[in-house]
Amino acid sequence: MIRSWIVALPLCAALLQAAPACAQSSTAAGYHLEAGVGVIWMGREAIGSRTATETTGTGGTASLFNTSSELGGAAGFDSRIGVRLSRSLAAEAEASYLKPQLRVAISGDTEGAAAVTASETIQQFTIGGNVRWMLPGRRWSPRLAPFLLAGGGYMRQLHDQATLLETGHFYQFGAGVETLLKARRRFPGRGVGARADVRAVVRAKGVAFDGGSKTSPAAGVSAFVRF
Amino acid sequence: MTRPLACLVAAALTFAQPAPALAYLKFGVPVRGQQVTVKWAQTPVRYFVSTSSVPGVTSTDFQGAVSRAFATWQAVPTASISYQFAGVTAASPGSDDGSSVLGFRSRPDLDRVLASTNFLIDTATGALIESDIFFNSAFPWSVAAAGESGRYDVESIALHEIGHFSGLGHSALGETELVSGGRRVLSAEAVMFPIAFTAGSISARTLKADDIAGISDLYPDGDFTTDGSLSGRVTKDGQPIFGAHVVAFNPASGAMVGSFSLNAQGQFSIGGLSPGPYVVRAEPIDDADVDSFFDATRNVDIDFRVVFLDRVVVVPRGGDSGEVAITVVRK
Repeated sequence: MIRSWIVALPLCAALLQAAPACAQSSTAAGYHLEAGVGVIWMGREAIGSRTATETTGTGGTASLFNTSSELGGAAGFDSRIGVRLSRSLAAEAEASYLKPQLRVAISGDTEGAAAVTASETIQQFTIGGNVRWMLPGRRWSPRLAPFLLAGGGYMRQLHDQATLLETGHFYQFGAGVETLLKARRRFPGRGVGARADVRAVVRAKGVAFDGGSKTSPAAGVSAFVRF
Repeated sequence: MTRPLACLVAAALTFAQPAPALAYLKFGVPVRGQQVTVKWAQTPVRYFVSTSSVPGVTSTDFQGAVSRAFATWQAVPTASISYQFAGVTAASPGSDDGSSVLGFRSRPDLDRVLASTNFLIDTATGALIESDIFFNSAFPWSVAAAGESGRYDVESIALHEIGHFSGLGHSALGETELVSGGRRVLSAEAVMFPIAFTAGSISARTLKADDIAGISDLYPDGDFTTDGSLSGRVTKDGQPIFGAHVVAFNPASGAMVGSFSLNAQGQFSIGGLSPGPYVVRAEPIDDADVDSFFDATRNVDIDFRVVFLDRVVVVPRGGDSGEVAITVVRK
């Protein structure tokens, strides 16, 4: 979690500094459409530990070796299309693609095998939706519009060489800022902008050896076109 | 064949060669130049129980214990084999009369053999015709529900022998230590491990993933077709090796299933695996005598270190992982 914020905060800071003079506030009213593409980073997620055991003569267990598994952090692509429902509320559909590494750290072999981290690449596709609440007030800057978001969706994870598909779902919540970098006067509301956000993503099922839901941090930056 | 301490070639196994097929060891016989897996052609397999008894175990007790062991194998949902109790008989196990008989026989000369299974096979087809199991009455036996100190558990030993009775060979999923006169089992994760736990233990009354994969591979049924396999080859110094024990470990379920590199190309195949990612470990056969698994004439390489594959291997649903290359190094 700490690492995610260290990464995410510079992104927000960069956006604050880069914001040029805008002809129009990004929070202007209007029922416009917005389409965006960008990059997303999702943090590592521990997905379970398991000890390989054998049964003893008394019915107990003896350890053969230990495994600890995780989905590594990964960067990928993110796209979305949204609609402004009111001055403070927007809905958006979002899709992302990442290639995290599934890593299984193996240690403690009773016969002295060297510790190894076995890995493979997962292709992760998500599709879902978010609701964004544009926070009232412009306390940080007249050009920046802070927001909160919450959403969820469907997740497909494809193992190495597309040999096996695992599916699950995810929920997420977070916060971010957006700014309208350029707007055209003749067509009020039309323009291009940038957005950054940080999220907590809860993934359920999919590649999860212990079967539970796991939370990992995520951050994204994107450019958008407003119609 | 189950031994309290090890080190004896099972007569029942001397004819057997490992079948070059999926998982564990299955018995095989050459039929017209081809290696054919030994298995029952028809089920239910009928068996008789002899009227013999030993101190502490009546014929009825014995019948009850072996019935429970047969029921345990028959309950495997991904295997189709079934068994049927045909009655009691005064015949002893070991006579080639076309009837499969389980019972006690006194063989004090086999001082390390708790029980043994032998077969009558149709050499034209490889089909089993008869399979007898004898329990060595030179040892103390028990059918107590919770086991009995100093006595071997009939149900546990029967479970192992019925694996042979059905066509399974030995598994190498176990750890042992050398003691005077043989080996002592520290732990095992297969009923088909060749050496028994010490007297009094009832740990081997439950089938493990390796046993279930083995019997399902021999007699596939139900969901078994959705299971997959993991295959590849083992090399050392660039050369294939025979007899390496390869174990697939599922980090989600904890299940372990093992097999061996079984041909001149060092190839192995582990079947009966639930789809998913696996950790792969290769080890030499050093926890039991090599001739517990292979014909003594086979050149089994045990001069290499235990190693884990540095990649996760994915077993697809109903398919094979694709060839996995495992490189081992000398000790």
